[in-house]
Amino acid sequence: MATTQVEPPPPQVEETSSIQRVIIASSVGTLIEWYDFYIFGSLATIISTQFFPTTNPTAALLSTLATFAVGFVVRPFGALFFGRLGDLVGRKYTFLLTLIIMGGSTFAIGLVPGYATIGVAAPVIVIVLRILQGLALGGEYGGAATYVAEHSPVGRRGYFTSFIQTTATLGLFVSLGIILITRQSVGVAAFNDWGWRVPFILSVFLVAISIYIRLRMSESPLFSKIKKEGKTSVNPLAESFGKKENLKMVLLALLGATMGQGVVWYTGQFYALSFLQSVCNVEYVQANTLVGAALLIGTPFFIVFGALSDKIGRKWIMLSGMLIAIIAYRPIYTAMYEDTNIKNKTEVAEKTNVAVKAAMTGTDSVITATTLKTYTDGTSYKEVKTETFPADDAKKAVLAADKKLAKPVIKKEVTLSAGGFWLMVFLVTIQVLFVTMVYGPIAAFLVELFPTRIRYTSMSLPYHIGNGVFGGLVPLISTRLVLATRPAPDQPPSDLLAGLFYPILIAGVCFVIGAIYLPNKSHDNTME
Amino acid sequence: MSIKKILGIVWILMGGAIIPFIVLRAIQEIGEKPTQDNWIFWSIVLIVLMPIIALSMILFGWYAWQGEYEMIT
Repeated sequence: MATTQVEPPPPQVEETSSIQRVIIASSVGTLIEWYDFYIFGSLATIISTQFFPTTNPTAALLSTLATFAVGFVVRPFGALFFGRLGDLVGRKYTFLLTLIIMGGSTFAIGLVPGYATIGVAAPVIVIVLRILQGLALGGEYGGAATYVAEHSPVGRRGYFTSFIQTTATLGLFVSLGIILITRQSVGVAAFNDWGWRVPFILSVFLVAISIYIRLRMSESPLFSKIKKEGKTSVNPLAESFGKKENLKMVLLALLGATMGQGVVWYTGQFYALSFLQSVCNVEYVQANTLVGAALLIGTPFFIVFGALSDKIGRKWIMLSGMLIAIIAYRPIYTAMYEDTNIKNKTEVAEKTNVAVKAAMTGTDSVITATTLKTYTDGTSYKEVKTETFPADDAKKAVLAADKKLAKPVIKKEVTLSAGGFWLMVFLVTIQVLFVTMVYGPIAAFLVELFPTRIRYTSMSLPYHIGNGVFGGLVPLISTRLVLATRPAPDQPPSDLLAGLFYPILIAGVCFVIGAIYLPNKSHDNTME
Repeated sequence: MSIKKILGIVWILMGGAIIPFIVLRAIQEIGEKPTQDNWIFWSIVLIVLMPIIALSMILFGWYAWQGEYEMIT
């Protein structure tokens, strides 16, 4: 008599409660890694004064390297190193290692004595620790995305991996929140002096909790299966990038998906904040608060678009996000600028207040004029103009020779009314929605593009080049493009939106390549 | 011949054109103003960004021209 054997469920199918544990363990750790990575960027100004004084050219150079180098050079190396390790020894221990390295280096940054105490050793140590942060981040994301995807049932991979996708935005949100809370708690002066160390030191507790959670997790079922069968890759790097069959998919992932996603991500979150602070002159706390609010409103949409990609496919959600961003960026940034432009507002003349203060700094006379203005819509404007008049003949000669130094220092600050604030939240939220469209489904898209034996390595590299190089360069290149529109070096730029040309161009090329070449993966897709 | 293949030539040409465009621009800008900022910016573009864009576009274009992406739908 013939017997019917009931086959056990495929290894990638797990019970819901188990998957929830997997998602929590992976997401919490990844969120903490993003938090660790972003607090350095968010505190870059303070860190540069503590470790990289401009009076020392070497330290100033290191400052620039610290800000940029890690993002685009080190992250892809971390992706290669830890991706290889993850495909050789397993996902679990690799992304546990990245968490320890990230947490350790972040904690250590909080303890490094400043330049004033140990001299040039301070910036060198900080650079080394920042490099370790970048390497760890390069290894973390691919591991977490792969780990969750390999636990997910077929047809729900977009939904489950989208929780990992929320972590980058939430990490930024938490970093802004903790910085603001610490700053408000200890005061601005104390924060600039020592309080900035608190967010770094706090990281060690968050990492400890995450390590505890992750240690209790088991290895990915798909990886365990191929390991048991002796089918793991012997040389993941050679297999990923040395064979045409896989290299062509790596190139497709980079040029047709991640490079566009990277610039949309960085424009919608970082460039928006930078534009608010440096171009629109929005007051520091208000700018961070409104971006934080937009991040919080937009975050659930990572999950919405991740889940939707299980139903209609990943490709067109990601590409639609890119296309809408390309079309909408200039109108959105124009609206942001106009919302804060005091020339568009009616001043309440009787509320205007000008205070002039004179002081002596050494032998120099310093005149500070503070102007406070209020507008009918509730917006307030503060301008602090500081001019230095040296008594010393040598200093006078320096000022006469350098027009830049002779100019008074003017600091402008716009505090938006409630209406203006919420309009700005709306404009930034739209950009976060673009981010959720391109970023929500991309983890599932990338893991499905590559086989289990080399998945960690293959997906990590295009992801980190797309985000680290193309995305990470948005602030640098965009600022450069804006400055290039100055008619003369001492004149203001003629096109404040010129910086958008770079993300629009990259996203545009990516959209064309993606639309023509990308496969449209969806729920019927199984992973080898 | 499919559009995927034909566009392969476009990607190769784009990748190739980026190299002289960026190199000449870098030489011009650094020559006009050899400040540290200029050096750092163009070093980053020349050493990191340009090779990635140029090489990946050329290689991608070559694979497209060879019909490697024809079966992907």
